Amino acid sequence: MKKIEAVIQPFKLEEVKEALKAIGVDGMTVSEVRGHGRQKGHKEVYRGQEYQVDLLPKVKVEMVVASARADEVVRAVAAAAKTGKIGDGKIFVYDVADAIRIRNDERGEAAL
Amino acid sequence: MSAEKPPSSGPLPDLRERFFSGGNPVAILPERSASVDELIRESFEKHLAPVFSKGMAVAAVGGFGRSELFPHSDIDILLLVDKASQDEKARDALSTFLRKGWDGGLRLSHSVHTVEECCQLHTGNLELSISLLDQRFLCGDSGLYQKLAVRLPKFIAAERQALIKGLVRQTRDRHEKFQNTVYHLEPNIKEAPGGLRDLHVIGWLAKLNDPARELPDWLSELAREIEFLYAIRCYLHFTAGRDQNVLQFDAQEEIVKQPFAGGPLPVEKWMRQYFLSARRIHRAARQAIDVTETAIPSGLFTQFREWRTRLSTSEISVSKERLLLRNPQSLESDPELALRVVRFTARHGLPPAADTERRIERALPAIETFFAAERPLWNHLREIFSLPHAMQALRILHDTGLLGAVMPEWRMIEGFVIRDFYHRYTVDEHTLIVAESLLELRNNKDAARRRFSELLTEVESVPLLVFAILLHDIGKSIDGPTHAQESARLGETIMQRIQMPEEERGFVRFLVEQHLVLSSIMNGRDLDEPSTAKDLAAKAGTVENLRYLALMTYADISGVNPTAMTPWRLDQLWRVYSIGMRELTRELDTDRIHAADGAPESDFLEGFPSRYLRTHDKDEIAAHLKLEEQARNGGAGVELVRRGGVWKLTVITLDRPRLFASIVGALSGFGMDIVKAEAFSNSKNEVLDSFTFADPGRTLELNPSEVDRLRSTVEKAAMGTLDVRQMLERRMRPATPKGAAERLRPSIYFDGEASLHATLVEVIAEDRIGLLYDFASVFAESGFNVEVVLIDTEAHKALDVFYLTRNGRKLTENEQFVLEDRLRAVCMA
Repeated sequence: MKKIEAVIQPFKLEEVKEALKAIGVDGMTVSEVRGHGRQKGHKEVYRGQEYQVDLLPKVKVEMVVASARADEVVRAVAAAAKTGKIGDGKIFVYDVADAIRIRNDERGEAAL
Repeated sequence: MSAEKPPSSGPLPDLRERFFSGGNPVAILPERSASVDELIRESFEKHLAPVFSKGMAVAAVGGFGRSELFPHSDIDILLLVDKASQDEKARDALSTFLRKGWDGGLRLSHSVHTVEECCQLHTGNLELSISLLDQRFLCGDSGLYQKLAVRLPKFIAAERQALIKGLVRQTRDRHEKFQNTVYHLEPNIKEAPGGLRDLHVIGWLAKLNDPARELPDWLSELAREIEFLYAIRCYLHFTAGRDQNVLQFDAQEEIVKQPFAGGPLPVEKWMRQYFLSARRIHRAARQAIDVTETAIPSGLFTQFREWRTRLSTSEISVSKERLLLRNPQSLESDPELALRVVRFTARHGLPPAADTERRIERALPAIETFFAAERPLWNHLREIFSLPHAMQALRILHDTGLLGAVMPEWRMIEGFVIRDFYHRYTVDEHTLIVAESLLELRNNKDAARRRFSELLTEVESVPLLVFAILLHDIGKSIDGPTHAQESARLGETIMQRIQMPEEERGFVRFLVEQHLVLSSIMNGRDLDEPSTAKDLAAKAGTVENLRYLALMTYADISGVNPTAMTPWRLDQLWRVYSIGMRELTRELDTDRIHAADGAPESDFLEGFPSRYLRTHDKDEIAAHLKLEEQARNGGAGVELVRRGGVWKLTVITLDRPRLFASIVGALSGFGMDIVKAEAFSNSKNEVLDSFTFADPGRTLELNPSEVDRLRSTVEKAAMGTLDVRQMLERRMRPATPKGAAERLRPSIYFDGEASLHATLVEVIAEDRIGLLYDFASVFAESGFNVEVVLIDTEAHKALDVFYLTRNGRKLTENEQFVLEDRLRAVCMA
């Protein structure tokens, strides 16, 4: 099993969700996060007062899928989240040791 | 969850069968209690009587004491002893008694106390005293119990006030835990407002009441609601096989199929019945608390309350911090009296007395009939929403049913359920929380929300915003293209009926229709993409509209659930607002009308900022065309009218140096306070200057001849035949209103990129009479031409935007530097 963690632009969340749904991935955890990579922050001005926005708003989407499907899921997320500009985000893939469905104690891929 | 779960052990199967075949739960519960009485008596005889021939009595307390034992409720018993026993044999016997009870399926919850302990006030354990209000003898030493029966009423009479205060505090804390609302999509039917506990509170307060005072018999009036709630709790207990009190979504799906639910019904419809029933219970509990609590005297508070009686009027008297009607019968003949009571609350923060609320409720049919016709209801609502305690008033409007009576469309969303994972409340409650979130910004102390609370001080009409919020989801119960459109459509009918002026109606319609724009941009658009800002600017139309929409979105998200407005969303929403604001300010100069279709108006409109078309309708454009004609014939077209408590001046003339400063100076010379202004020119070098101003000295109102004199002065100033400076020198400058420390720190901002040919200057400063003239004079003296002006004043804060040029070019850095100094000096003068 692989855990796929994608940090994407907030406005791409719906497209990513749709893309995942289209390939049959329904389960995911979504959180509102802030951060930056190479994009760094930028200056914003309101009424003459400049303020530096260092950490930019992003959305983190996490899901665990069968290893065999990991590539397909990563491709789907990347295609949906891409604008081609700096700040599109990143996708991380981790190995997962086990999964347990708390309700009935199912384990491994059966619990996904 | 299903009704087919196996019954639990204990004396239940028969009752379960009777309940599911349509038995009345109110009748079933005492039977269950009676059968449990028997089981306890038997067990006592068997296990305790041999050891405690005397010196121990068993009393039923709590729900069991009231003989309304729900299928899986705890069975509360008091083991009354004459002294605490350390005897091992006695302890073993007690332990066997309890164990056997549990083995027999009885969830016994016991406490052991002496008569002395029962008749003492335990500040940390009010529950014991309260549970004793419902006690009854079951078995054991009747002589010992008799001692309690004699002493308990005396104890209660002596400690009445402390018990009432404790109970009221507990109830308020409990309500607070549920955000003081009955409208939870998955309500706890026991503990939440409008739940069983509220019924108990009403019963306890009646028992704690001074026997000399007569209370309304709320519980008899709530017979239907009690039966409804008992049936739900029986159902939840029977189906879950445990003490389940949360009415979850899956239970709601099943319950509507049951005979007692009167079904089959759609879940939403049945839940609406639940909410309306819970609301009646909650209201009765609040009234019972109010009546009992106001009877308690207390030192300093009493003196303060007596002081507040001075607020009484000829129709409303203030007594013990509550509003009473001097002549309650007049509610039938004068239905607007109910709204005047609410207005009193909005002004002073004093709620109607329970009796007043009940009288209003009884008069609702007459009030509804009265307001079914076209009436100037908006005048009442506008005033209520503008007052300091508007939210308290809005709650009263809702809780008494008054809002539904004066605006029956409101009932379409009362208790209306939209089931999703985000919304925690029904649509009506959501709407009220949205209004609350907005109005709370007025007293905001949270640094993260400060930007939005400042924004609230910059909108012209909070009442219009509150009203738009009341309407924003009112169409949710209608199947239509979008609920925003349905709400706007329904809102239009309401607004016509309540006689809202057309201009305000149009604005509210706009807010309702567009209330989702910012949140959809926030969630679905790339904020760094220039097209996003352009689209937002096109939808909002003006900076003023954008402020309203930003506040509405802030409040709407905050009203979804208590944690919906995260700091993340707060930042995102502000970013959306900022990019829209920047774009609209930029557009003032760069986005011009190109309307070359040959019509006379297109000739006039050519070159004006696009804002002109967004802020003026056909009639206004036609009036401007006439003024243009006057200008061509006489040098200046001037119109001066009074509208809605303020004066509006429109001037059209050919542009010339110092023009703007001269007109502003003429107004200032008459002592007028300019609150809004716009100035822009078309391609023919004609300038359209419009001003909204207040007349603080009522000069124009009290001296009609002054209106003509002002008009003629403005005309001369516009044509350059009057020396405004001389005129102003004759006029004394009013004293500076505040010390420097109290004044708003001026913010002056230059943007050379906003326009291709002009420099944007934005000034935020403490407003004063003559401020705009001073700005305009500085520009004129510096040789700057004022290309576009947009002035707004809200709550003593001047929000001014100017586009300036010098000899047809932008201002140099040095010019900006010097100008900033001079403007700052003017702001602090």
